Amino acid sequence: MFSTILSGTVYGIKSYLVHVEVDLSSGLPCFVMVGRLGGEVKESGERVRIALKNTGISIPPMHISVNLSPADLRKEGTGFDLAIAVGVLIAMERLPCHCADGLLILGELGLNGEIKPVKGVLPTAICAARQGVGRCLVPKENVREAAAAEGMKAVGISCLGQVMDYLRCPPKGRDVMLPPEEIDQKKLLYNEADKKKKTGKGEFSEIVGQESVKRAALIAAAGFHHMLITGPPGAGKTMIAKCMPSILPPLSLEESLEITSIYSISGNLPAGSSLLAERPFLSPHHTVSPQALSGGGRIPRPGVISLAHRGILFLDELPEFKRQTLDLLRQPLEERKIQIARTGGSFTYPADVMLVGAMNPCPCGYYPDRNKCRCTPAEIHHYLSRISGPILDRIDLCANASRIEIRQLQSKKKGESSKDMRQKVMKARKQQKIRYQGTGYRFNSELAAGDLDRYCHLEREEMEMLEKMFGTLALSARAYHKLLKVARTIADLEASECIMKKHLMEAVCFRTGDNLGRQWDGNG
Amino acid sequence: MEMDKAYRYWLHSLPGVGDRTIEKLLKEFGSAEQVYRAMNYLPSTMFKKNGLEGIKTFSKTWEVEREYENLLQRGISFCTLEEEGYPARLRKLIHPPYALYCMGHMPKEECHSIAIIGARECSEYGKYMARAFAGKIAEAGVSVISGMARGIDGISQRAAVEKKGRTYAVLGSGVDICYPASNQRLYQDIQDTDGGILSPFPPGTPPNKIQFPERNRIVAGLSDLILVVEARAKSGTWITVDMALEQGKNIYAVPGRLTDRLSDGCNLLIRQGAGIALAPEDILAELAVLTNREGIKSRKESKGSVGAARFLDFYPKSAEKLLKEMTKAGIVVELPELLAELIGLCVEGEAKQVAGSHFVKVHER
Repeated sequence: MFSTILSGTVYGIKSYLVHVEVDLSSGLPCFVMVGRLGGEVKESGERVRIALKNTGISIPPMHISVNLSPADLRKEGTGFDLAIAVGVLIAMERLPCHCADGLLILGELGLNGEIKPVKGVLPTAICAARQGVGRCLVPKENVREAAAAEGMKAVGISCLGQVMDYLRCPPKGRDVMLPPEEIDQKKLLYNEADKKKKTGKGEFSEIVGQESVKRAALIAAAGFHHMLITGPPGAGKTMIAKCMPSILPPLSLEESLEITSIYSISGNLPAGSSLLAERPFLSPHHTVSPQALSGGGRIPRPGVISLAHRGILFLDELPEFKRQTLDLLRQPLEERKIQIARTGGSFTYPADVMLVGAMNPCPCGYYPDRNKCRCTPAEIHHYLSRISGPILDRIDLCANASRIEIRQLQSKKKGESSKDMRQKVMKARKQQKIRYQGTGYRFNSELAAGDLDRYCHLEREEMEMLEKMFGTLALSARAYHKLLKVARTIADLEASECIMKKHLMEAVCFRTGDNLGRQWDGNG
Repeated sequence: MEMDKAYRYWLHSLPGVGDRTIEKLLKEFGSAEQVYRAMNYLPSTMFKKNGLEGIKTFSKTWEVEREYENLLQRGISFCTLEEEGYPARLRKLIHPPYALYCMGHMPKEECHSIAIIGARECSEYGKYMARAFAGKIAEAGVSVISGMARGIDGISQRAAVEKKGRTYAVLGSGVDICYPASNQRLYQDIQDTDGGILSPFPPGTPPNKIQFPERNRIVAGLSDLILVVEARAKSGTWITVDMALEQGKNIYAVPGRLTDRLSDGCNLLIRQGAGIALAPEDILAELAVLTNREGIKSRKESKGSVGAARFLDFYPKSAEKLLKEMTKAGIVVELPELLAELIGLCVEGEAKQVAGSHFVKVHER
């Protein structure tokens, strides 16, 4: 007797459907599994056998063959257990013949027959729904996740016995027996976001002073510029960075699906959760390995940079990161995705992150306060040059957090709230959206040098001023491009179509330059 | 005469032979040439252990005449205590250095000279003061002596060069080694003007910590008066000051704010009785080369639209701080507007942006 069950798995970040084919034939009793299986999939046979036994089903002494098709793609993960068990049951004729048709089955089996959660449910469910599969059986811990896929009716189950009961039931009665989980995506997203807001994590109005850093954060968020915050220890650099997600526009449904898929694949999704509603904020420690940052393994798991997709990657103590690790960010920051080549194939993971770096201005952290700082220019230069030029090139904005005085901390005056700032950001982004319609650009920060003239047009007066600034401030050509992009965003924040003098000047104020050392160095 | 000098150069270049030993040797043998000829008969008690062996092996590869010609060819002149050209001011020291190497010119005996010294890591205020004092002093025809170090030393010498005055740098390394390398241009410019690079160490000597007190002693020795611009309470500047006091020189200090650690040294000096340098003319008056007293002028501030220039100082202030001060003074201004004006001032060369969004008033260029 032969049966086919639909299951699925992920390969890299792409998911695909797998047909689990089971055949029982006479011969020497054994359980054979084929189809380019990873270690955990091979072990699946043992789990299935014992789980069936403990559910009260004895497997007949026959030759059982299991094939996972397509047989040339490598299978990983424990999600096939349940599909194999169901396949065996149908092949044994313990379940009606076509009871599992048009049903996606995912789940790991315990030896006692219970069904445990698995990774990668959402992307698999999305993939199945696209191919016309409208119903799925998933572990109940994953059911909300699977239900988030559009057009997918997800049924949560907790043990093998329940599955058998469900499949024995004629299709009409199934919804009464185990009603599928229903989720309104948009509402869900909104509610989740609302819940988060009440917990009050990261709110700009709670930050005392630091007006210029807040301003830089606003500009960075509006134009999706990468940003660097410098300042003495304890000035609140980290705190400001943590508030950044609160001023980025709320996640759209597509974005949320993308992020949730990545988290689902990497197993980072909190149990029982559905769509993620908050932009990710990742702050890896500076000892992070290159593989952990980019994604590693034979079939790479998404790294920190992919987990921060559509959100913020915060690198605290930037100069402490290994150069090798930092240089890895060069491609993802440019192309907004990361390509990892392995012998098994090349994988592309999304990495559309906003980089926020934080660092001290000198080894002791107090420059330019010469009462405290005794670092020599050479020391400062050495410290700053640990950040490689190419990374600095990609950072458009640099702001300085200054030391907070006790009086400021005690004052009751509140700054601008995240909500207001988010409004401004969204307004500026809307302007960009209109301007770049049909060009492939989304944000000012993405503008290529060739298109700068078109989108960042300067009047004669502004041109002259810029020329003058270049002379006196010794700016480079690279700084020029960054300057224009930032000025464009500042103008967008003010809903001004042309870039004015004041916009340029403010942009200059937040410049990073090619060489921080030279700009820092006060010695004339 | 030239041959004598060659032998003296050899004597001074000997490894492990200091000024004291040279003095003893000359007393014993009469002249450097005699010492050279008596090399095999030198009493080993005069040297450290194995010192004599070292001298002999060193002298084997040293061709006295050729090495001296080589020295001259490199543009380095050489002068010892036994010669006429040796600076009279140094002769008065208790232990004058036996020899002085020089690139450029030797200090002019008839001219007054002032040492301007201070911290390497100085503030914008220190830079401004060093510049203002050194410029005026050099203009008045007084030589500026210093150590060409980073910070106050280099800045005051640079100012003297710019005012077409004479300045002399005493190095803690050989005269052929520019230390610190960042002052390479100044090193060149001093030689091109009437000034000179001096050193008591043979050419090729690398800079070494233990040589700097000797360098400082010569800086003090060559000058009639010492001006300290900016120094911490504990710093290398005190070595120069102590040595100058031992030599009976007058000390002047530029006062600073009590809260600035970089002015602590100067303020302490003033408490101990140093002269208070309120204007370059105060010092010039001491040397009796006073012209008319003008004092240190603060720069005329240009009026921006918000008037941020008035709130800038020689100490870096963050944009927030400026904003707060201005609000306190009743000027209503938004941060973006203020930033724009500050950058405008930077472009005009009246301010400078340091370490991100800190701004500082800038000395005249």
